[in-house]
Amino acid sequence: MRQLINALLRYRNTILYTGLFIVSIIFLNHRSFYHQSIFSKISLAISSNLNQFGRNTSNYIRLASTNEKLFIENAKLKVFELIHFDEKSIEKNVIETFKFQVFGARIIKNSYNRARNYLIIDKGNQDGIEVEMGVITSDGIMGIVNQVTANFSSVISILHLDLKINAGFKKNGAYGSLSWQGNHPKKMKLNDVSTLNSVEVGDTIVTGGMSDYFPRGIPIGKVIDFKKPELEGYYDIDIELFSNFTQKEFVYVLKNKKKEQLNRLKNEPR
Amino acid sequence: MNRDNLIVVFQFFLLLFLQSFLLNNINFFGYINPNLYILFIIIYRLDGNSTILILLGFVLGLLLDLLTQGSGGHTIATLTIAFLRPFIVKFSFGVNYDLPMGMIKGSPFSQRLVYMLIIILIHHLVLYSVIYFSFTNTLTIIKNTIFSSLFTFVFVYISLGLFKDKND
Repeated sequence: MRQLINALLRYRNTILYTGLFIVSIIFLNHRSFYHQSIFSKISLAISSNLNQFGRNTSNYIRLASTNEKLFIENAKLKVFELIHFDEKSIEKNVIETFKFQVFGARIIKNSYNRARNYLIIDKGNQDGIEVEMGVITSDGIMGIVNQVTANFSSVISILHLDLKINAGFKKNGAYGSLSWQGNHPKKMKLNDVSTLNSVEVGDTIVTGGMSDYFPRGIPIGKVIDFKKPELEGYYDIDIELFSNFTQKEFVYVLKNKKKEQLNRLKNEPR
Repeated sequence: MNRDNLIVVFQFFLLLFLQSFLLNNINFFGYINPNLYILFIIIYRLDGNSTILILLGFVLGLLLDLLTQGSGGHTIATLTIAFLRPFIVKFSFGVNYDLPMGMIKGSPFSQRLVYMLIIILIHHLVLYSVIYFSFTNTLTIIKNTIFSSLFTFVFVYISLGLFKDKND
């Protein structure tokens, strides 16, 4: 105690100075708005920095539990992302060979068990649907519009004996014509592919760019079997479709915006 | 001793009123005023009680700020030089200073000059730093410090001459 008093006495000037200095700072703070604003700025900066420091520290301490929470949330989002990705990836891979306009439509009648299948969608020429438009689904192609009324359209399904669609390999672009043999709604044949091209089981077949109806690159199916006839120059390839036509509900109708120009060229007398 | 105290009190109020009512209205070159009141700190007895000097300096500055509507710069500046005076005395007169009657008699002129100049410069530097209180005005602070210090120094020197004559 005595030492404390001695120390106080020895440093009395400094202590007195410090105390009076604080008093004069307070005095200054009360007297002048300018200094008041500066002081409040300083104190704000100090307190915000201190708070920041405290928050950082507590965040660091809580890092483990936060990490765990984020991990759970990530897993949840991953599931959503996968679902989303499955739906979107096809459209992203499409290479636009022509400008097209997309109409969404709902199938109101679908058939897949006849030799020549048709389906009816709930959009007609009032909605902008015209004859000879391509119809696709979320994971493949569906057919081509053949008749249009005011509110409905009839679509030739690709499950139709007389329909041939230009299709090709995704890997090298070798193309042929895709047709249905009339027996199984998931099996089709790809003919007219030159034997100069290599074919393997599992190759992806996409729409070829030579069709007026579909843009290039819509996935159709994959090779499950192929034969190389000895006498012909063309493969005989069996395709399994990606999309299941027996359970479709929504389709997209594609309008080729430049189709008239194409037709004019085609119809020109040679 | 009582007489000395009375002289101190007389000097205190004389300088205070002189400063607040006369010298602060000089406005030399528009803005320079001599701060003669720190003469009180300068001529305070070198062997006097430094704690009391700090208190007196504080009160002097505070009263001056109140009288002149100042913001508080004089308080802090005067308090600071009152606190720093023992160190300044040691620096300018050497450690073994033995000048019981104040600095006026019996010390070399150069030492007295250094002593006065340091006190005046520190006082003005603190004063203008507090008044402007921002780094963007550093140049203004330095300019004001230098010119006011010179002006104040002239006044302090003249006043010391007056006191000296009177004492002799």
